[in-house]
Amino acid sequence: MAIVKAERTPDRRPPVSEATVLGWLRKNLFSSVSNTLLTFVMLYIIYLTVGGAFKWGVLDATFIADNRRECYDNSLTGACWAGVIHWLNNIFYGRYPRTEIWRINLGGVLLALWMAPLWISRVKGKFLVGVSVVVFYPFLAGYLFSGGEKGLFMQIMVASALVAFAVNMANMLAGLFSRQGLGTFALRVLGQDKATGKTQRNVLLVLIAIAFGAAFFWQMSWTIQSVVWTKWGGLFLTLVISGIGIALSLPGGILLALGRRSKLPIVRVLSTGFIEIFRSVPLITVLFMATTMFPLFMPEGFVLNKLVQVIIAVVLFNACYMAETVRAGLQAIPKEQFEGAHTIGLGYWGTMGLIIMPQALKHMIPNIVGSFIGLLKDTTLVSIIGLFDLLGMLRSISKDVPWMGLHKEPLIFGAILFFIMCSSMSKYSRHLEVKLSAGRKR
Amino acid sequence: MDNPDLKAERHRRPKEDFDFFHDQRVRWVLYQILTIGIVGWLAWYLIGNTAHNLAARGMNTGFGFLTVSAGFDTDFKLIDYTPGVGTYGRIFVIGILNTLLVSFLAIIFSTMLGFFVGVMRLSPNWLAAKVALAYVEIFRNVPLLIQVVFWYMGVFSVLPVVRNSIDLSLGSGLMELNNRGLYLATPVFGDNFWMTPAALAVAVVGVVLFRRHARKVQERSGRQIHTLLPSIGAVVLMPLVVFIATGMPLGWDKPVLEGFNFVGGTSVPPAFLALLISLSIYHAAHVAEAVRAGILSVNPGQREAAFSIGLSQARVMSMVVIPQAMRAIVPPLISNWMNVVKNSSLAIAIGYSDIVSLFMQTALNQAGYAVEMVGMTMGFYMVVSLTISFFLNIYNKRVQLVER
Amino acid sequence: MKLKAKLTAVAALAVVAATSATVASAENTLDVVKARGFLRCQVGSPSPGFYNLDADGNWYGLDVSMCQAVAAAIFGDKTKLQIQSVSTQARFTALANGESDMLSRTATWTETRDTQLGLDFVTPNFYDGQGFTVRKDSGITSALQLKGAKVCVTTGTTTELNLADFSRVNNLNISAVTFEDYNVRDNTFLNGGCDAVTTDKSALAGNLSSWPVPEDYIILPETISKEPLAPAVRQGDNQWEDIVRWSVFALINAEELGITQANVDDMRANSQDPRVRRMLGVEGNLNEGLGLSKDWAYNIIKAVGNYGEIYERYIGDGPQAIHIPRKGSLNALWTDGGLMYSPPFR
Repeated sequence: MAIVKAERTPDRRPPVSEATVLGWLRKNLFSSVSNTLLTFVMLYIIYLTVGGAFKWGVLDATFIADNRRECYDNSLTGACWAGVIHWLNNIFYGRYPRTEIWRINLGGVLLALWMAPLWISRVKGKFLVGVSVVVFYPFLAGYLFSGGEKGLFMQIMVASALVAFAVNMANMLAGLFSRQGLGTFALRVLGQDKATGKTQRNVLLVLIAIAFGAAFFWQMSWTIQSVVWTKWGGLFLTLVISGIGIALSLPGGILLALGRRSKLPIVRVLSTGFIEIFRSVPLITVLFMATTMFPLFMPEGFVLNKLVQVIIAVVLFNACYMAETVRAGLQAIPKEQFEGAHTIGLGYWGTMGLIIMPQALKHMIPNIVGSFIGLLKDTTLVSIIGLFDLLGMLRSISKDVPWMGLHKEPLIFGAILFFIMCSSMSKYSRHLEVKLSAGRKR
Repeated sequence: MDNPDLKAERHRRPKEDFDFFHDQRVRWVLYQILTIGIVGWLAWYLIGNTAHNLAARGMNTGFGFLTVSAGFDTDFKLIDYTPGVGTYGRIFVIGILNTLLVSFLAIIFSTMLGFFVGVMRLSPNWLAAKVALAYVEIFRNVPLLIQVVFWYMGVFSVLPVVRNSIDLSLGSGLMELNNRGLYLATPVFGDNFWMTPAALAVAVVGVVLFRRHARKVQERSGRQIHTLLPSIGAVVLMPLVVFIATGMPLGWDKPVLEGFNFVGGTSVPPAFLALLISLSIYHAAHVAEAVRAGILSVNPGQREAAFSIGLSQARVMSMVVIPQAMRAIVPPLISNWMNVVKNSSLAIAIGYSDIVSLFMQTALNQAGYAVEMVGMTMGFYMVVSLTISFFLNIYNKRVQLVER
Repeated sequence: MKLKAKLTAVAALAVVAATSATVASAENTLDVVKARGFLRCQVGSPSPGFYNLDADGNWYGLDVSMCQAVAAAIFGDKTKLQIQSVSTQARFTALANGESDMLSRTATWTETRDTQLGLDFVTPNFYDGQGFTVRKDSGITSALQLKGAKVCVTTGTTTELNLADFSRVNNLNISAVTFEDYNVRDNTFLNGGCDAVTTDKSALAGNLSSWPVPEDYIILPETISKEPLAPAVRQGDNQWEDIVRWSVFALINAEELGITQANVDDMRANSQDPRVRRMLGVEGNLNEGLGLSKDWAYNIIKAVGNYGEIYERYIGDGPQAIHIPRKGSLNALWTDGGLMYSPPFR
């Protein structure tokens, strides 16, 4: 026997709540009396806050004026954004000489380009790209930002960084257009792709040596004007402090975390104590300690400048938080991984460096982004001890004679700026978290 | 694994080819000695420099300054202090109390507000959920320091002048808010006032016993006894009746508008309010996330199962969902409380006399005992944080025992 | 008293006095500065009229001009200068341990500071004094009418103590409302939170000009305190102290002799007045005691103008100024009845 359906069953209509706007509204906003009431309360709150802000910040606001008096003449009840607009250079670059601002921008563009391959799936050798950013970029950027005469060490580092950058870019292009690593691509172009491994390696080394020589002679032909650190400020300084803070606190955090998990009791106790002390006190006390006590710690006559003091404090503080992030990452690694590494005869550092850390670090990336966000927000504290970071600059606007007393608008501008930076990064870190844990679920 | 041969083998091997530098135990000891050496040398070097610098600059050391009288005043203190008479030790205590006061209040407000917002984020009402989301995103992603300064700068310019003070206590004149700060009435207790709190205590104990009884009944027979209304009734009515019966022995020293300003009661400086508001709002956003994550972490099957055995909505929440959610909420909640205490140090930006701005800044500027004062301040925070993590550990142990 | 004052000052006493003794004696500051190639001059966190950042990130103001004058005197170039903005807590230490060569940050010259802090004030470059601002419609025209009033004041400064003294001396029973930040203090006043606001008159005028309707307020005529603001140097290096002191005098003297930024070249070439010729280095050897080049005073005037010009630019009436009239005030030249007086250059 067979059941034959002669006619097509008509499609059922989707539920009202899914199909029409009205249905959606009823389901989500007006499903019951209390729900309706809640909706109206919420609408009122939104009207009050968003409406008020819009009127003050946009409708009644003044965007073009030469001083606060002109803002008042235009409107007494609106925001005076003109002051913030006049101060944009200070807010972003601090007191950096206006003719040299291109260096900061170039530094930013270089970093973006350098890191770009990490997001392109066709590019090979991502690990080396990551390492080259960490090892070489700081020297290039450091010279770019501070300028002056290059010592021999700096000359070598700048040249190396240039080579690394060029290799990285070439590698990206090779990856994009031929889906190969740069090495393979270069060998093929030179017709050496059939040669022995040793020849291939020598060919590549020669290529790099030539590039280095060229870069070295090229960089000898120019120097850039020196810009002393007291001229650094604004968002730029905020990013420098938090950038160096995160870059240096990662290795510090890894060491501390390993120390805390170590089998050696003394190492464990020392690491644990160090971590717990710094985690239990507020950052401002550490910054105060840096500015009042570091000068006492140093041999007489040795004066650290304030920026360095602050960076040391931030790194010490943040490394301890990073240590806990790393520890959590290590704990997530299954025990079999350790045992497996031991069976193939790896020692402690081999196990950690080759097997455990790469896995742990990968899964820690979202948390590291999270700590970077936290650090970025915390960096505003340096304005309390007298550095002109973003917040320090924002608070100086109200003391500039043409804009005297203008304090609300700069703070709100700063809040918006931080909101954009932090929320986009945290969105990204959540996205990463989902992406990275996808392959992990069994 | 307990193969005797293997065991024997393991014992024998070191003897055969004992290599001093490749023996693990020897290396462990060497590593540790090395660590101690490095750390010890560093400590010795820093202490040596410090001692040398202190001596060279003629700076005083030791804790003798704690009994020396301090010459400056502070606008907010919970204990008696007279400038010129009160000691630095007293200043230290004032700072600690001020920090603890603002942190304690901020913890309460942020937790309440945070629970509210966290539940609201899971509201079926789309608009309410989005408003809660906006709240969390905005206040979490703006640095706390900017918020503190903003509230300090911004909020008191929108508050009314003294003559038009807002009465926060609904017309009773106990709390007056205006742009000069918050004015609070101070209670004046009568003779038999102690009976009212006593009655409250009795009522609370009774309610606890009653609820325990109700739960036992339910566990034994499945019969549910309504406890909510009787509980509230007892806790509210009993003290009220006693209070009235003893002749309402409570008066208030109310702030009264006299000429230009309020007189009487106590007043809270604007900086305190700004700090309290910003800490509460900022940390509420973090609490809300913890609460939301905690509730979401409870398997939906639990809730469905609870409904299916006939529990009411309230009981599903109170007996099934919340207890399980708390396990996930409490640890981040407590670490959040710790952050409240630490972040209250931002008081320094707006001049509220907490321990950092009063002791580590003003007092240090005056007396100059940098090492001691920084150490004492940090020590205070460490004690607070150790205490909190002590209780957190106890809680975690208890929760773990319940787990299967 | 911009400076956070007595407490802080009294404070740093022990610390700094000792510090300076060890570090300062070491070298000759002029040689150190010359070898470094630029002057390090300390100011505070921005304060209108005296040291502010402009939108281009440059420092400007009366005190900044003092720094520029000294740099010009030493190097003939006012840009060979690094302005350091140092927080109140660290200001005297930074001077003592050699981080700063001089301090030019509206510090009030008082006996305690001069004698106990290990620093020397050179000579006042601005005479300030504390005053009151009230609403016009309050009908108050004299500070003596403030009986029982609420007065907004910045906390932790000598202003607060001066107010208490003033109230007590005149039996006014004034109550102070204290604030950490002057923006909040002024906001409170503007919203009716107090009946008057008090601080240095220079700041009163500066802040007043930034309020929505300045015409609704008046500054009362009384000045209730003496606030001679002066640059300061480390104790113990007399040559360096002289350089800074005579740089300030050069500004004042130039105004008295009618030498301006615009006519200084002409004066140097053509003036027959021996006082002008001596000062600008055409005659005599006024540079020798200071260890500077012959035309040091010429360099100063060429770089920043004379005192009157600087005053008008930042305090008096320029677009960057905070609008405090000079005529008839203590800051006028002595020939106009003020206190600005330079010893003769000879």
